[in-house]
Amino acid sequence: MSTETVSGALKRARNGVGVSGSGRAPGGTKKRGKAVKFTGTFLAFALPSVVLLLLLNFYPVIYAGWQSLHFGDLVNAGPFVWFQNYASVLTSAQFWTAALFTLVFTVVGVFGSWAVGLGLALLLRTRIPLNGMWKVLLLLPWVVPTVVSATSWNWLVATPQSPLPVLAHALGFGNVLFLADPTLARVTVCIFKVWISFPFMMMMMSSALASVDTNVYEASRVDGANAWQTFTRITLPMVSRTTYVSWILMTIFCVNDFPTIFLLTAGGPSNATQTLVVQAYSSVFQNNQVGPGVATAFLMTIVLVIVSVVLYRQIQKVNIE
Amino acid sequence: MTAETANIRLAGVPTKRRRLGEQGERGKWWRLLAIFVITLIMIIPIIAVFVLSVTPSQNSTATGFTLENFAHVFTQTEVVYWLENSLLIAAVTVVVCIIVASPAGYVLSRGRNKWVSSYALILFVVQSLPVVTAVIPLFILFSNLGLVDNLGGVMIIYVGATMSVAIWMMAAYFDSIPISLEEAAWIDGASVFGSFSRVVLRNSLPGILSTAIFAFLLAWNEYLVALVFLRSDVNYTLTVGLNTFFQQNAADWGSVMAVSVVMMAPPIIIFSVLNKYFSVGGIGGSLAGR
Repeated sequence: MSTETVSGALKRARNGVGVSGSGRAPGGTKKRGKAVKFTGTFLAFALPSVVLLLLLNFYPVIYAGWQSLHFGDLVNAGPFVWFQNYASVLTSAQFWTAALFTLVFTVVGVFGSWAVGLGLALLLRTRIPLNGMWKVLLLLPWVVPTVVSATSWNWLVATPQSPLPVLAHALGFGNVLFLADPTLARVTVCIFKVWISFPFMMMMMSSALASVDTNVYEASRVDGANAWQTFTRITLPMVSRTTYVSWILMTIFCVNDFPTIFLLTAGGPSNATQTLVVQAYSSVFQNNQVGPGVATAFLMTIVLVIVSVVLYRQIQKVNIE
Repeated sequence: MTAETANIRLAGVPTKRRRLGEQGERGKWWRLLAIFVITLIMIIPIIAVFVLSVTPSQNSTATGFTLENFAHVFTQTEVVYWLENSLLIAAVTVVVCIIVASPAGYVLSRGRNKWVSSYALILFVVQSLPVVTAVIPLFILFSNLGLVDNLGGVMIIYVGATMSVAIWMMAAYFDSIPISLEEAAWIDGASVFGSFSRVVLRNSLPGILSTAIFAFLLAWNEYLVALVFLRSDVNYTLTVGLNTFFQQNAADWGSVMAVSVVMMAPPIIIFSVLNKYFSVGGIGGSLAGR
């Protein structure tokens, strides 16, 4: 699919074209220089996006920073209170519960979907009839809107009359309340996230596996490696770059995820499944606590800016080596 | 497809693929069984939506297959408005996003100085920020401008939300177009803009399609912005509409699932027709491929 074609074309193009800015082509400096003189045109080309970036990303983030130092509501800015909002957020137990659950949700979301996605990518790489059809069907959880899948999962698990609780009851587990019990609700939300995300991982890992030179496997077989050794010593290192990139992206997706949780449990029962994003939303738009809500969101923003800059540099470094 | 044709098709696969599958015939059928069971389990929630949408509701006289749920939601609810709003918002977002992102992506692909690489970094950082941070200040700004409960306001935000990844995707595609094509055009006296629009864009349809699909899916599926900014029933998009409808009619699964089918039909149709251009995660392919 297009991930494959784009990256394949990229590899081919690398040698011919000096790619820069985003793609630091290895040794690609020689052919550069030609386009630099078009600075004026390039500025005009980039201008609309820069304007939108300033208006829709920079302005709100700066304004949010300013707002987080005030104690107001959605209409009035309110008095300047220094770092009081941060102090009240950082000392509240609710914030730390949400932060901890965000961490759990992210770790389970990233590694769960990666494990399932990689497993399926490995399975689909072998000789299976109707290979393409399975791939398309397995991508559906990613294609179907989250609102629809959340509705459908609600039908599956939410009430005691839903199919899964009825099944659990029939199997002798008693009355299993998937979304009413705090621990079970947490587990359900994490499984829901893994279910939504595994197609992403499957696609990423499939295209990485497709570019692995299969002669290496032949060599390892000749050397007498067993399947597990081949997997850990050859397959995994060969796809490590894609693995790393997809972990980073999935971490960002999970931390920022709002609909998955909000639509399934709305943060409940008794805030058990509240992540930081859901907490920021509900304190601003449901409890009218704008200052603390914005402070939570702004804290997340700062952490994410630092993390993504560091990780981006890391990706670029791996690239150059 | 029967097993026989499947084998014929697989026989045409290049040698390196075939070698991987040498675990034998029996292993093949076990793997087929495994993938069948896994796929079935994974898409049960999606099958359920379709099945329930054509199942008669409790107080209905119909039995078996029925379309009355669809008839009901199209005549008795605002679903037509929601569908129109969603389509309009997604279409405008896609078009504006491509218009803004393709020249910027060209700069990212062809420009080569520290400003351009910083811009690439900034775009990467921007796409990793939580939407909720931007939503609150924009809500205040837009309420002063009269853009709350207004489809235009949502469109503007969606363009901003899709733009950074779209620029990356376009840049990744432009990278695959040899610069010699443009050089030839420049020698013939074309300006940078001329070579961009006539040479580069004309050869970039696959890249534009992937980016458009990405932007469409994001605009179609987005929930938080629509929830905050769209206030009246007739202005809802399908995301907010479906969830509101579900909250109010939780027992009437037939109607709820009929709306769900309306909502997931466009993405599934686009995905099945254009799945060659479907790029999962947008920025992922560009980053991993480099």
